Amino acid sequence: MGEWTGVLHLNAENRQGKTVAKNVYFQGAFKVMRPIYHDNSGRACYYLLNPGGGYLDGDRYQMKICLEENAQLTLTTQGATKVYKTPKQYAYQETEIHLQAGSYLEYFPDPLIAYQNAHYKQKNVIQMDRSATLLYSDIITPGWSPEGERFSYKTVQVLNEIYMDGELVVYDHLKLKPANQNLAGLGFMEGFTHLGSMIVVDKKINNAFLDELYYLLDQNTFDYRFGLSLLSVPGFTVRVFSNSTQDIEKVFSQIHSKISQEWYQIKPNSLRKY
Amino acid sequence: MDEKILALFQLCDSNFPTGAFSHSYGLESYIQDNTVHNIDTFSEWLRVYIDEQLIYSDGLACQLVYQSLEEDDLQKVWKLDRLLTMQNLPRETREGAMRMGERMLHLVQSLYRIPVLSGYRKRIEEKQSFGHPAIVFTMVAHHLGVPNSTSILFYLYSVVSSIVQNAVRGIPLGQTAGQKLIRDVQTDLMEAVEAISNLGEEDFGIVSPGIELSQMRHERVNIRIFMS
Repeated sequence: MGEWTGVLHLNAENRQGKTVAKNVYFQGAFKVMRPIYHDNSGRACYYLLNPGGGYLDGDRYQMKICLEENAQLTLTTQGATKVYKTPKQYAYQETEIHLQAGSYLEYFPDPLIAYQNAHYKQKNVIQMDRSATLLYSDIITPGWSPEGERFSYKTVQVLNEIYMDGELVVYDHLKLKPANQNLAGLGFMEGFTHLGSMIVVDKKINNAFLDELYYLLDQNTFDYRFGLSLLSVPGFTVRVFSNSTQDIEKVFSQIHSKISQEWYQIKPNSLRKY
Repeated sequence: MDEKILALFQLCDSNFPTGAFSHSYGLESYIQDNTVHNIDTFSEWLRVYIDEQLIYSDGLACQLVYQSLEEDDLQKVWKLDRLLTMQNLPRETREGAMRMGERMLHLVQSLYRIPVLSGYRKRIEEKQSFGHPAIVFTMVAHHLGVPNSTSILFYLYSVVSSIVQNAVRGIPLGQTAGQKLIRDVQTDLMEAVEAISNLGEEDFGIVSPGIELSQMRHERVNIRIFMS
């Protein structure tokens, strides 16, 4: 297919306890800032920027992230991913992530806001060693239209594939088409407007850990509704419905804090940028 | 053709003991929070389940497995077994499908001698494959020489008729109301087969977020009559 609108390749390694970029390459409408070290764990935090301000008709973005042995990285965006109307060709983003032995990646992009008549497709492919750790989340908002109408986008499709030692272990596929589906209704968003998903893969996760997580989260609130379940490999997935990005972020940050404090004795910094 | 269809009927019969009677695929969560409480709300749920989850998982798998068997491409069949298992994120429905697949496989093996079934069983025993009723069913249908679209239709029917019977017990609904729904939903099943024939591998595993979330929440349902 055609040219990329934006490309980012980032290869990071662990140099005496500190994660540093071995290679960074970006081009077009993708950019990363210099890494920030939020604490003295050596974990690098990269902010991804889209200088164009949003995805346009036919835009295609490619990201390749590789963490070498024992490298630790947080990757996030500087703001919401906005997809404007795409009258001719859908906007597309693909991400390829390689996690080598003992490496740790947190990838927490900001929410996706698809504008009226936008068609967006996203594919994340993660190849990981069984000793590596992955924390991933995404949030799909009801989008934006000038009249304030919800779910006015054409299609939002998100596919996550995770391979462990070369074998498929997670296949997570959502395709929201408001014109053909009653998105607010039964079986879809059950009356909520925002959909959050989180996937955590780590060899330390077991049923007892999931039970603790379950009781940590508020089960009786009307602000959100969640489900969590163990994967077929040590790890779990979470889905959250709510009516705001903040409610979903609150759930994810509770999970993130628990993991960071129990496993790494780190109190996570807020990644919020505003 | 009649004898082949008759043979496939046996696998669709609700008395065929695969364990389907103990799975609600998340329906029980809806019953417990009272979202599904009568025939109207249940038929709405059922149609979403068929159109937004079943066709993209089991239904599309039936079609692709059949095509792979036609091409004698077993690697593709094993790949689909893994895909079908890994796209099933809620643990209870994933493990439920594996158990049903294995039970169906054992039973069918005592009825037919089909080499590909022995291969499948061996892979499951060696933990190379997982087992899924849609795949076992398609292997039998293909062996019997039943056409692909008929095989998909029969499979969907067997899934839906057992869900309806579970709903009759679980909600509960009257037996007649249940049978009426099974009659009405036949049009939807025909349309589902048509829809599946227009799908490709890139459509595989699309889920309906609400139904999936309810399947995950079912793990935490305290008093239950179903395993999923």
